[in-house]
Amino acid sequence: MTPTPTATATATATATEPVAADAAPSAITLTGVTKTYSAALPAALQGVNLDILPGTSTAIVGPSGSGKSTILRIIAGLEDANGGRVRLAGRDVTALLPEERGIAMVFQRPLLFPHLTVLDNVAFADRAAGLSRAQARDRAREHLELVHMAEFGGRSPHSLSGGQQQRVAVARALAAKPSVLLLDEPFSALDPGLKDDMHAMIAEIRQAVNPTILFVTHDRDEASAMAERIVVLENGQLLQHDSVDHVFHRPASLAVARLLGGKNAFAGTIENGVHRSALGDVALDGDVASGPATLVFRHEAVTSTLRQPTSGADADALATRHADAAACQRFGPRELHGVVTSTVQRGPRREVIVQVADAEVYTEAAPGHPLSVGDLVTVSLPCEALWAVPAS
Amino acid sequence: MTAALTRPVRPRRRHLRAALLVLPAVIPVAFVVIGGVGTTLLQSLGLMPLVGSAELSTAAFNDSDELLTSALLSLSIAVVSTAIAAVIGFFTAVLIISGNWGGRIVGALGAAAVTVPHLVGAATVGLLLSDSGVLARLFGVAPDAWPALVAGPTWFAVIAEYAWKESAFIALIIVGTLATRITSYDETAAVLGAHRFARLRLVLFPLAAPSLLVASAIAFAYTLGSYEVAWMLGQTYPEPLSVMALRLFNSASLTARPEAAAIGVITVVLTAVVVAAAMLGLRRMRAWR
Repeated sequence: MTPTPTATATATATATEPVAADAAPSAITLTGVTKTYSAALPAALQGVNLDILPGTSTAIVGPSGSGKSTILRIIAGLEDANGGRVRLAGRDVTALLPEERGIAMVFQRPLLFPHLTVLDNVAFADRAAGLSRAQARDRAREHLELVHMAEFGGRSPHSLSGGQQQRVAVARALAAKPSVLLLDEPFSALDPGLKDDMHAMIAEIRQAVNPTILFVTHDRDEASAMAERIVVLENGQLLQHDSVDHVFHRPASLAVARLLGGKNAFAGTIENGVHRSALGDVALDGDVASGPATLVFRHEAVTSTLRQPTSGADADALATRHADAAACQRFGPRELHGVVTSTVQRGPRREVIVQVADAEVYTEAAPGHPLSVGDLVTVSLPCEALWAVPAS
Repeated sequence: MTAALTRPVRPRRRHLRAALLVLPAVIPVAFVVIGGVGTTLLQSLGLMPLVGSAELSTAAFNDSDELLTSALLSLSIAVVSTAIAAVIGFFTAVLIISGNWGGRIVGALGAAAVTVPHLVGAATVGLLLSDSGVLARLFGVAPDAWPALVAGPTWFAVIAEYAWKESAFIALIIVGTLATRITSYDETAAVLGAHRFARLRLVLFPLAAPSLLVASAIAFAYTLGSYEVAWMLGQTYPEPLSVMALRLFNSASLTARPEAAAIGVITVVLTAVVVAAAMLGLRRMRAWR
């Protein structure tokens, strides 16, 4: 994790990132985009502002109904916004039809045309643009090679597996030479192994043709695997648009922390750079403003290790060991002592809930150190994992 | 109990069970089709005479000139009206699928048109298009100056009635098969840069083609075999096969019954050839496969 050198104690949402006047125009710019499907329903999007830089891969994450797919459909022109503007590479496309926007989109289902072969599916965009069948097929072969499906060109779509069909769908979209590639949960129906293959394929495509990619996913792991930036949406509002690292470890709000799977949040107050809560006093990095704030940190960044009790009262006592070097450890504690109250195995990792004073801390067992309920443990809080968000 | 429920069924038993399940539907259909066609064939060959002894003969088919004229006329009416119905039906389906208010109105009109019996439709078209009909009066055209749309040499009213009714039928068949999936494919094509006409040519038409072909084959078979519209709105001579068959069947001369049966056989053969060609065409379509 990369610590923020001048982090503020209470993070501010970086909903939009202004582009310098002399810089190349953003690949996608949304300005005040609003969408309402029905007067009886809350707005699907509420004044969303967003800048996506060319050549980047950005994930949109958020709960169901947060407006993720609606953003993509508005950019593609498949839905009309009720307000706001959509610009692609600086060109206002708000009033243009989907086919006039120069984008391509891959949906959750591959939607390969059943009356065309795999090769002709990939050749579709060129055929629609007026190229001859032979020319279109020649170009299609190149794109099939890009997704390692060259030998399947003569097959019917229905003879392919789900993963293969989605590869072809991606090749078909790339063959349209889009300025922006939109992916609407394209791999959500695939099993984990196939998903990994798809992520590797997207990485190869980015190396080969470097398209601007904007994709929707509900899978946080997929977002971090495929994107360098993440947009967090909730209830049609853009909560944060930042690098993957910052969104996970420097969330703009408690809502972002929760949406990204953060489990540790302790309401309290910051005084003189120290957060005081049920967890105890925890010093924070950087120039932190005083006032009510919630301390958050990722459970994956915190490990619990078994320790031997040194006295009868030791089990629920806070450690007071002070580190001596790092500025963030002026006051301590960074190592907390507690008792394991619950453990849950999640694949190769073991999630451990530790009672520390009056607080429950979500941690992970160190590799090779299985823990059980009742064990006395030391919880290590790395300085870089700590972050405070405005009190909600 | 669970084991019994999940026990795999051997393929032969599964096939037998499937055959038994469809028998209640197959038996009456087979009885009517095989029985009816068989009886007609026997009658046409003189093997089931109403009077006299049975004797194998092709005499009922001997008036080849008149049969050929009627067959060509029937085929012409069926081909032209089916072709018009197919074109109108396809574009009507496109309009209905588009989902806008115009499409919804057209969809409602199409559904209403299907419920109107051909006999009522023929009477309506007659009242509308005849030389003293609604249109002639509306435009203030004298009967002498009005073109012979009803009972005229072009068989216009007959073709118009069949095209109107069958286009609604074809449109609803296409809408029924495409409505749930065409929007997704249309959007996919649009975001790949395909303009409206390209989408129609490269996506919508190929996907609609199997249902269009099947519905057109059904419309053709119906048009070739039905008599009431041509009987009400057509010329008295030459007669389409169906009208001639009806006249001969109802003839006072009992010896005309084999000739009526012969026309029925010819109609069945023509229909079977066209339907077989349609099925072959269907098998060649990738969208069907």
